[in-house]
Amino acid sequence: MKWQKDSTVLLQGVHHPLSLIYVEQMQLCGTKLVAGVSAGHGGESLAGVPVFDLVEQAITQVGSVDIGLILNPPFRVLDAALEAIAAGIRQLVIVSAGVPPLDMIQLLRKAQETHTLILGSGSQGLIVPQDFSVGTFDPYCYTPGPIGIISHCDRLTDDIAQTLTQAGLGQSLVVALGTDGLNGSNFEQWLQVLEEDENTQAILLLGQPNSNGEMRAADYVASAIEKPVVTYLAGRLAKINQHFGDSLTIVANQLSHKRPVLTSVEQTVQAFEKANIPVAHCPWELPDLLRDIMDRANVS
Amino acid sequence: MYRGEPVVLPAGGYDVSEFSPQGTDNIGFQVDEVGSLAVSYMDLLEYQAKELFKQVGIPILPSQTLQTTSELKRLQLPYPLVLKSQVRAGGRGKAGGVKFVENTIDAIAAASAIFHLPIADEYPEVILAESRYDSQAEIFLAIVLDYQRQCPVLMGSSQGGIDVETLLEQMQSVSVRETFSPYLARRLAVKMGLSGPLVEKVSGIVSKMYDLFSRYDLDVIEINPLGVNADGAVMALDGKITVNDKAIARHPELTRWHSEILQINPLRWLAGSLNEGQVGLICNSEGLALSSWDLLGELGVVGAYLLDESRGYDPLGTQLEQAFAFFGQAPNLKAILINLATRLDDASALADLLRTLLPSPAELPSDDRSLRGTGVTLTSRPRSPQRKTQTGEILPVVIRFSQGDLQPMQADYQGGEIYWHRDLQTAIAQVRGLIPSEVDVTEIAS
Repeated sequence: MKWQKDSTVLLQGVHHPLSLIYVEQMQLCGTKLVAGVSAGHGGESLAGVPVFDLVEQAITQVGSVDIGLILNPPFRVLDAALEAIAAGIRQLVIVSAGVPPLDMIQLLRKAQETHTLILGSGSQGLIVPQDFSVGTFDPYCYTPGPIGIISHCDRLTDDIAQTLTQAGLGQSLVVALGTDGLNGSNFEQWLQVLEEDENTQAILLLGQPNSNGEMRAADYVASAIEKPVVTYLAGRLAKINQHFGDSLTIVANQLSHKRPVLTSVEQTVQAFEKANIPVAHCPWELPDLLRDIMDRANVS
Repeated sequence: MYRGEPVVLPAGGYDVSEFSPQGTDNIGFQVDEVGSLAVSYMDLLEYQAKELFKQVGIPILPSQTLQTTSELKRLQLPYPLVLKSQVRAGGRGKAGGVKFVENTIDAIAAASAIFHLPIADEYPEVILAESRYDSQAEIFLAIVLDYQRQCPVLMGSSQGGIDVETLLEQMQSVSVRETFSPYLARRLAVKMGLSGPLVEKVSGIVSKMYDLFSRYDLDVIEINPLGVNADGAVMALDGKITVNDKAIARHPELTRWHSEILQINPLRWLAGSLNEGQVGLICNSEGLALSSWDLLGELGVVGAYLLDESRGYDPLGTQLEQAFAFFGQAPNLKAILINLATRLDDASALADLLRTLLPSPAELPSDDRSLRGTGVTLTSRPRSPQRKTQTGEILPVVIRFSQGDLQPMQADYQGGEIYWHRDLQTAIAQVRGLIPSEVDVTEIAS
């Protein structure tokens, strides 16, 4: 994703109940929010942002748009995203969570064909503290610094970033992949971005213990990432009903109803241990863990 | 999910119902007897799955549902029959939930036994009476949403039935990377080792399954077994369908089975252990709830209620009341933790809201009875009774806000059983301190 201070952002679903809060948070970071779209509300404005009926009308009026931000209700996300892609927008942040998976599959195919980069669904977006923010991050929780964060979690990210900020560890770039089972981008892509980012000294992965993405991330770190990495997994003890697995595992579990030898949580933790990535047990351990691992990286 | 304080909307208004895509908000949340979500309520029962099979022309046997044994007298089907317990758990046959019967006398005894037989803690509400089918071969077919491959996968095993090991050994699959077309189903049939007329017959069934899969946003559709008789005709003898919980609200056709499917709205509620849990959790983010859950560890969590601040039509106060009401059912409840990610701007409004639900010691009338019948209202703010456990003790509530000035609250609630914290670590320690420990808690963090 190309993000910079002058990237232009278009907001779809401007009548989301919390859109005003989000718009003000982004404006506080200096994000150039150039237009909003909501059918039937063309001609209105939201916190000084002009609203249009169609994405293409907005682009005709305000010029090209770099990033589309989607707040539409989950069943309308596919349509909103297709409208943005048709209007030439090639980077989308889908904040809405709970998008039906078959809609996401259709959207991800379209994204592949059109080389569109998608964050989400269920993403908080991307923030470079005090520089740029697209999404729903609370800028008060963040401050510039050396930690890059890739999150598979929701608003927990704000809370954990705040813990780091209070401990004097600011953030270089924070990106949320999305909480739904199917996401437009993965840990590997963003690990590579942070590996190459000169402002990032250490990487924090905030994961879910029930998804395969984390295990692939652990493998990727072991093979391709030089910078120190720490992780925290939320939900190791909670009974999570959803498991975003592969088809054979799903069918095998369904047929046999036997408890697998290792739960997905244990497998994920093992994968991180194997990759020598410390797994924090609680959020307040993270500042010390990150400092330790950065010290060690500097010595060697 | 959307979180945060409702804001005044721009002119033109907004249909907030759009933000309730789950459409399940008016359905109270309940948990099953064991207080867990071991069984997914998005799983349709066999007879429901077969109704959908029928819609698309997947062959099923003549059958009839029974809710009581007396309905056997009005059965329209000729004997011999199979009676099948309609529960969601697998291993039904081995558990005694499937019985072959030759006549009404047999059937009444069998049905009575099945109604009284729990399978994985679930008693059947319905029995399916079905004709028998003479299978020469049994095939397994399924279409599953594969989150790793990010596409639906067609699956088939020529060795269907109850021998799971053999079935899995023979499993073949075809990913649906592009738009589905029947050639993919034929590819699967050939990979499964089928030949002759069965290639067309089985792939035809798979195509119909795909029709249902995409039409109803399914996670899983499975036929096991698909019986093949001596004439080479095929018949779906058992079926399983799991509907995607995020999409179910756009399929009102499926909400006919409303009470059975939508007992819990998983988007608002993470179920824990209703009977053993000691802590009730309220959070405004799922990640925060899961993280808090881990931190409470062995204390046992009754469940986590997920507050959603964007539901203007369902104010936070109502949501909190719902959560409290639910926690009130937990026999072992010792404390409630309300852990909220707050914004600087909305923290004080949230604190005020909590204050109306949880009066501070100073705000509680010293003697409730003295007020009765006087008609005097001491304050305009509604008062709730102090929260109590089932044994009548006052229920401590620990509240943690990630941002905001809590000093006025802390001062107000001095000496009460309501504790306000900004720091997560001290909030968790507070909860632990409130609950007498039966086990060694020194290893909580590990």
